[in-house]
Amino acid sequence: MLNIALPKGRLGEKVYKLFSAAGYEFPGMLDNNRKLVFENHELQMRCFWVKPFDVPVYVERGTADIGAAGKDILLERSPEVYELMDLKAGACKMAVAAKNNFHDDPEKILRVATEFPNIAQNYFASSGREIDIITLRGSLELAPVLGLSDVIVDIVETGTTLRENNLSVINFIADLSARLIANKSAYKFKGDIINEIIRKLKES
Amino acid sequence: MLEKNFKLMPEEKAALKLRSLYENYGYNFYRMSRFEEYDFYADKKDFLTSKSILTFTDLNGKLMALRPDVTLSIIKHIKNSPGVQKFYYDEKVYRVPKNSSGFREISQAGVECLGPLNDSNIKEVLELALLSLKNLADGKNFILDVAHAGMIAQLLEEKQNKSEILKCLAEKNLHELKILNAPEKLIALANLEGPLKNSLHVLDEGTAEIISSLEKIFPGKIHIDFSVTSNLNYYNGIIFRGFIEGVPDSVLSGGQYDRLMSLIKNQSSKAIGFAVQLGVRS
Repeated sequence: MLNIALPKGRLGEKVYKLFSAAGYEFPGMLDNNRKLVFENHELQMRCFWVKPFDVPVYVERGTADIGAAGKDILLERSPEVYELMDLKAGACKMAVAAKNNFHDDPEKILRVATEFPNIAQNYFASSGREIDIITLRGSLELAPVLGLSDVIVDIVETGTTLRENNLSVINFIADLSARLIANKSAYKFKGDIINEIIRKLKES
Repeated sequence: MLEKNFKLMPEEKAALKLRSLYENYGYNFYRMSRFEEYDFYADKKDFLTSKSILTFTDLNGKLMALRPDVTLSIIKHIKNSPGVQKFYYDEKVYRVPKNSSGFREISQAGVECLGPLNDSNIKEVLELALLSLKNLADGKNFILDVAHAGMIAQLLEEKQNKSEILKCLAEKNLHELKILNAPEKLIALANLEGPLKNSLHVLDEGTAEIISSLEKIFPGKIHIDFSVTSNLNYYNGIIFRGFIEGVPDSVLSGGQYDRLMSLIKNQSSKAIGFAVQLGVRS
């Protein structure tokens, strides 16, 4: 039995559609119900929805053999897993953004609001800048508008939300999209099945 | 027999089996103090898998550390000798496992083989690694992934973004290796997996010889896989990692670390060894 962890939500649904187009279908996956685990006995596979942030945990600990996780979450958690394929779903960028008229004052400690403290820390550490990280759980745009932070480190898709709040990108940090990840040990012993999934995903 | 009178924990049983294996191969038991002066580890932190070190102040005011690693201590304490020295250990180490919130005591067994090594010494240590895996696997399937630190170091010699490339190599992240402009030869190595006959030719003659003679004893159990990476400042030769079916983490890791020897002992010498994690989650 091969266990697959997919991230609950919009990105996960996109990824599931890639899987079903490649011939890996789990009846009921996209129905609006509370069920979390779906089996396909014919394929000998089990698929389950977990919180996007938790996918790398399930895979690292081997509860799931493979999974799909956003690159943002992989960068933030740096799990000990294989990143076998760029699924290209949900392409966007991790960026630093600030108010349109923002001028960086190097004499001050830069206040950074983010949902991704490790990514922000690593990014600013490489520039040697002293920063104060403010970890928030959403609505990041509010932070610079209300003066809680100077800049934000956040995911930017189209930039519409930023524009509507008079914010703009000042630096790009990384390209993001969904990635297929695998538990290292599981890949040793179930590598044939996993590689076949990758091959079919690439073909479809 | 002691075993009749005492109930042994699974990891104690495993440790006893491994100890008798290493004894049979002529390795000597090495016992050492559970702590070292903190200074000894402070400048070698990047050798340690967990950066956190458990410290306390000794009666004379010296900052001491509960040993986070055995290899470093063995290298430090062995006396210089003209011949090959073979040791094994069965010790506790103190680390913060990745994504864990506190220190844990971890049982570890392993072997170290130091001195003027030749290919047969290296083969013997790899054979012991395979036998250790077989012992721990207890009937389940197991795999030893093998790579070569020297080959990776050579290919990355002139690259600025070494650490990014090494991270992608360890993740089998081929899509980003291309974006990072990794050398073609390295990407070819990253692509290797599966049966040995397709991959043995990438290794130098001596190493390939060792691997193919072990393949005859353990058919299908050795893979050439360059997602095994180690700190290139310490490791220079063959490096390896062992997996057991159904255990999510690697249970064994090791390699040839001549560079670490010369850093600690200030003299050039060869050394190879490995550590086995006992009592891992499954």
